[in-house]
Amino acid sequence: MTGRGDTETRGRGEEEQPSFSPRRRVAASPRRIAASALWESFRVAFGSLRANKLRAGLTLIGIIVGVSAVIAVVTIIKGLDQTVASTFSSQGSTVFTISKRPQIITSREDFLRFNKRKDVTHDDADAIARLCTLCWRTGLSANVPQATVKHGDEKMDGVTIRGITLSMFDIDAVNLDAGRFWSESEDAAGRDACVVGADIPENLFGGAAPERVVGREVRVAGHLFQIIGVAEKKGKIFGFSRDSLIYIPYTSYQKLYGARDSLVVFIQASSAERLAEVQDQVRSLMRNRRARTFRDADDGFALETQDVFLDLYGKATSNIYIVTVGVAAISLVVGGIVVMNIMLVSVTERTKEIGIRKAVGARQSDILRQFLIEAVTVTAIGGAIGVATGFGLAYLISLLMGFPLLMSVNSAVLGVGVSSIVGIISGLWPAWRAARLHPIDALRAE
Amino acid sequence: MSDATLAAPTEGGALEPGELLVREAVPAALISMRDIWKTYQMGSEQVHALHGVSFDVQKGEYMAIIGPSGSGKSTLMNLIGCLDTPTRGEYWINGKNVSEMDDDELARIRNKEVGFVFQTFNLLARATSLHNVELPLIYAGMGSAERHEKAKQSLAAVDLTDRMMHRPNELSGGQRQRVAIARALVNHPSILLADEPTGALDTATSYEIMNLFERLHAEGNTIIVVTHEPDIAARAQRVISIRDGMIEKDERLK
Repeated sequence: MTGRGDTETRGRGEEEQPSFSPRRRVAASPRRIAASALWESFRVAFGSLRANKLRAGLTLIGIIVGVSAVIAVVTIIKGLDQTVASTFSSQGSTVFTISKRPQIITSREDFLRFNKRKDVTHDDADAIARLCTLCWRTGLSANVPQATVKHGDEKMDGVTIRGITLSMFDIDAVNLDAGRFWSESEDAAGRDACVVGADIPENLFGGAAPERVVGREVRVAGHLFQIIGVAEKKGKIFGFSRDSLIYIPYTSYQKLYGARDSLVVFIQASSAERLAEVQDQVRSLMRNRRARTFRDADDGFALETQDVFLDLYGKATSNIYIVTVGVAAISLVVGGIVVMNIMLVSVTERTKEIGIRKAVGARQSDILRQFLIEAVTVTAIGGAIGVATGFGLAYLISLLMGFPLLMSVNSAVLGVGVSSIVGIISGLWPAWRAARLHPIDALRAE
Repeated sequence: MSDATLAAPTEGGALEPGELLVREAVPAALISMRDIWKTYQMGSEQVHALHGVSFDVQKGEYMAIIGPSGSGKSTLMNLIGCLDTPTRGEYWINGKNVSEMDDDELARIRNKEVGFVFQTFNLLARATSLHNVELPLIYAGMGSAERHEKAKQSLAAVDLTDRMMHRPNELSGGQRQRVAIARALVNHPSILLADEPTGALDTATSYEIMNLFERLHAEGNTIIVVTHEPDIAARAQRVISIRDGMIEKDERLK
């Protein structure tokens, strides 16, 4: 069996024998090469993480801190946005106002121009109520912020006094915890009744239950009002209570605070789809009353939805958000540097292993992929845990500050995705160094 | 260059150095080294590790390369194993010209044509015997079922069926070297290249490993053992002695 002649005739006939004889090999397809080497890469990655638990843990923490910071910040911002949006549009997207001036004026010229306009009067309000066939509800509302109200010797500051017509309870979607709204006849008779926000029983009546407050009296601007209803609690936004207010009839409001101001007329369409139609009708009606022709660019009044606040809010906060997210993202970059550092250590430590793999046929791309996958595995796991921690943080903060928690799949995918990209970027250089090692030098390493 | 280095056993008679280069492009021998030089740059100095080495190895040969340390035998082994490329000269293995290959092509040749057995075994410490043996098949792109089957067969052939799920640190030196041999042969390479395969083993185990080599040779494998021990070299059919980067002797023992 030792002669060369023998070996020449061997070869194919031996496929079944479990012995080591040179025989023909079947070339594997490139696709299978990718699949089996890829699986090996994952195996090695997890094996390496298991073998270096402390190191893997520290690396994970680096990524977790970064990702959870970003996720928490983004989630909190979304929650705030949602709160603001729902606050400013508590009347829903079906309500708009007619007023002399817009609610937001950005220049002195505009202010002077708007001041020259005619006041919106009760005649205007009546005309809208009478002639606007598409309008569902119309109402009047005016505020005095930061008033002081009293009950006996008790005093309460920072209360908003809101004079409204009866329809505004519907337009503002006010719900009651106790008592009732005033009736039309009470409204017409000018009865001094009021509906109070949930903070009033709390602060002015020593935390009495809403039912026990109904029928008692509260002094507003020296005038006594009987509490006939207590509104449902709305909660806080940015630390400001939305329940520190008292609704009084519009006529009483005018008696207390004067009737010379221009009015703000609230108009509600029956549905959001019909809003534009209703706005058109009111606009043309009001332009008629202001004697505007199609040539006049200016309406002579302001027609606005609550969106103006949202727009302003968006403009004011977007830059703050970018900075906040940016600061959080820096910690993710730091996490990436940690991963790169660890991967460099790992490559140095495993030079011998790289040599062995190269000796048995691993190509540069195999080694590169192995270390890249290892880096990405760490960062993706870190990213997933970071997303969970981030949502957890956001949840705690939302509990403390009282706004809704908006966990989105998008930010979760983004968190894991971004951290994986961080893994690729920070793993690339160490992996490239590993791939470029000369097999002889690598094998010689200890 | 001695005549012995040029003599291809089948052709009989020596060739002139000039004639060597005009032979047919693809040599008939399994391994053909033609005027191989390896030069290292050490600062401003050039160090020639190999000075024009030429020899052929036929399929099924059992050859030993012997020489003292610093003789260039490690360099020669690295070249035979396609871990490195020569500075000058041609190296053919199984009809392929390795001397002009790039890194990835060399990796493929190492995977398909060469089975390494090292002095220090060079097994992956965290992997089981089975996984260590599977490694070349992974880089060959073989599917896992087939891979497992082949690796098991390979381990069975070195009598390690009962140690398949053991890690290297749970095995004796001889067992580790047998795992390494199973790994070297699992992809059915053209040559089995052993670098001081018994250097880290005691006498009894060395004997056992050398017997295994003889069995593998009898089964038709081509084996090249690089060693500095005459005892080990004496087990081969043919011994090439290297000194100062040149072939000193090329002798057939059996």
